[in-house]
Amino acid sequence: MTTKYELQETDEPNLLDDMFDYSQPPKIQFDGPLVEEIDGKQVSFDPQEALQRDLVVTDTTFRDGQQARPPYTVEQQVKLFDMMAKLGGPNGVIRQTEFFLYTANDRKALDDCRALGHKFPEVTSWIRADKGDFRLVKEAQVKETGLLTPSSDYHIFYKLKKDRRKAFDDYIEVIDAAWEAGIRPRVHLEDVTRADFDGFVMPYVSELKRRSEQVPADMHVKIRLCDTMGFGVSTPGVKLPRSIPKMIHRMTHDIGIPPECLEWHGHNDFHKVHINGATAWLYGCNAVNTTLFGFGERTGNPPLEGALIEYIALHGDLCGINTLMIQEMADYMRSIGVDIAHNYPFVGRDFNTTRAGIHAGGLRSDERIYNIFDTTTLFKRPPRVSITDKSGVDGVALWVNAFLGLEGDERLSKIKVHKVARWVMDQYEVHSRMSAITDEELEEQVKQSMPDQYAARVKKAS
Amino acid sequence: MNREDVKSRVYKVIANVLKIDTGQIEENQSFSADLGAESVQSVELMAGFEEEFEIEMDEDEALGVQDVGGAIDFICKHLD
Repeated sequence: MTTKYELQETDEPNLLDDMFDYSQPPKIQFDGPLVEEIDGKQVSFDPQEALQRDLVVTDTTFRDGQQARPPYTVEQQVKLFDMMAKLGGPNGVIRQTEFFLYTANDRKALDDCRALGHKFPEVTSWIRADKGDFRLVKEAQVKETGLLTPSSDYHIFYKLKKDRRKAFDDYIEVIDAAWEAGIRPRVHLEDVTRADFDGFVMPYVSELKRRSEQVPADMHVKIRLCDTMGFGVSTPGVKLPRSIPKMIHRMTHDIGIPPECLEWHGHNDFHKVHINGATAWLYGCNAVNTTLFGFGERTGNPPLEGALIEYIALHGDLCGINTLMIQEMADYMRSIGVDIAHNYPFVGRDFNTTRAGIHAGGLRSDERIYNIFDTTTLFKRPPRVSITDKSGVDGVALWVNAFLGLEGDERLSKIKVHKVARWVMDQYEVHSRMSAITDEELEEQVKQSMPDQYAARVKKAS
Repeated sequence: MNREDVKSRVYKVIANVLKIDTGQIEENQSFSADLGAESVQSVELMAGFEEEFEIEMDEDEALGVQDVGGAIDFICKHLD
């Protein structure tokens, strides 16, 4: 039997303000636990418990991020590191970033970044699981290093040309060497979403846990779960080794790895990279490893800025994050020749630009209708329209008013911008134009058809 | 100005904007469905009326007028 739902008429619109506070990214609200069936039992994960943990973002822009592009110069790394520190804020939401140590430039970048004196992000390193590499870590005086320890048989058998026992023993030997050198090991389980969990991962991590208990707490091994090929899946009910919820539960519950020692490292081969990272937070992993704008090996890693917006949305608070830095970093990346897709969320040229006339009409009425949050305050990026034949007079009016800096009652009506709108339509209908109208062209039309308003704008700007 | 004067000048504006003969226009015709006015032309019609009668019209009210007779009545009311 179905329920009959009655329309609830109201004089005031219900804008769901508690969820969609326009001043911030909309808060993600939970009304129940996350439930996963594991070994035949219903296991609940409480999102509120997750939010009480010290969730953090870690960064690998200078390691995995550099594997996807020509190397950054030392100066570029220092500039990005400095901006990253400001972006993450005093609470260290961006807690750590990792560096290569193999070249003189790698080591100079690390030294110069550290010399800035920022408390966060902390500097860590990344090396192969090779005892000889510890000399580099010790010389760099880094307290924590990542160690690459492949965990799937694809890697153990076909890349390392070893069997499981040999790989296991070699890894343990190197990790012991890290402890002996006074360096905290962060063990990267490469290709863990394609690994034999019971046959290798669980025995290996259990042994690491056992050995951790022999060293001080601040030296306990950290586990980075590396979804090297992007096979991880966040949906409940998925089998291991692809299930992120089950994988994390086995680490925390079955082995006893604490959430603060767990980190998720994803790749975007199946478009799941951001949600997989966010899922890891909720199921018991405190750190999500990211790169700026998602640049990383092949399809990239969880985007740093996306993780920060998710962080704000989960906490309902900026938590000290300086969102304005996201745009500054995007501008800087463009200035050094990095392409960012126009439709890329939060920083792409068109991320909050509409071309549709009906959307432009909505924006004219109330920008909340077609803007995700107050991007003017948080990003200094007010919503815009890009003018084409689909923009309509609404779009033209919105563009003209934004260009002239007119707000509220000062705004010009559609009737007042009709000459510009006619010129735009003629470009397509009469001249068969195929591209969008540029800002420069529109400015010229405003100058010609609305000389008084244009002159006022020029005067105001000067 | 009486209604016939307004009507005559409204027809002139419509003919000019939509590029049709005034003889094709009737009071009961809709701007869009009968006379084929597209989005930009609807706005151009209102701009034409403002210029012809030297009046300022409220955008929402003006664009709410759907047919020729409605426009004549709206302008007459404005001129009163």
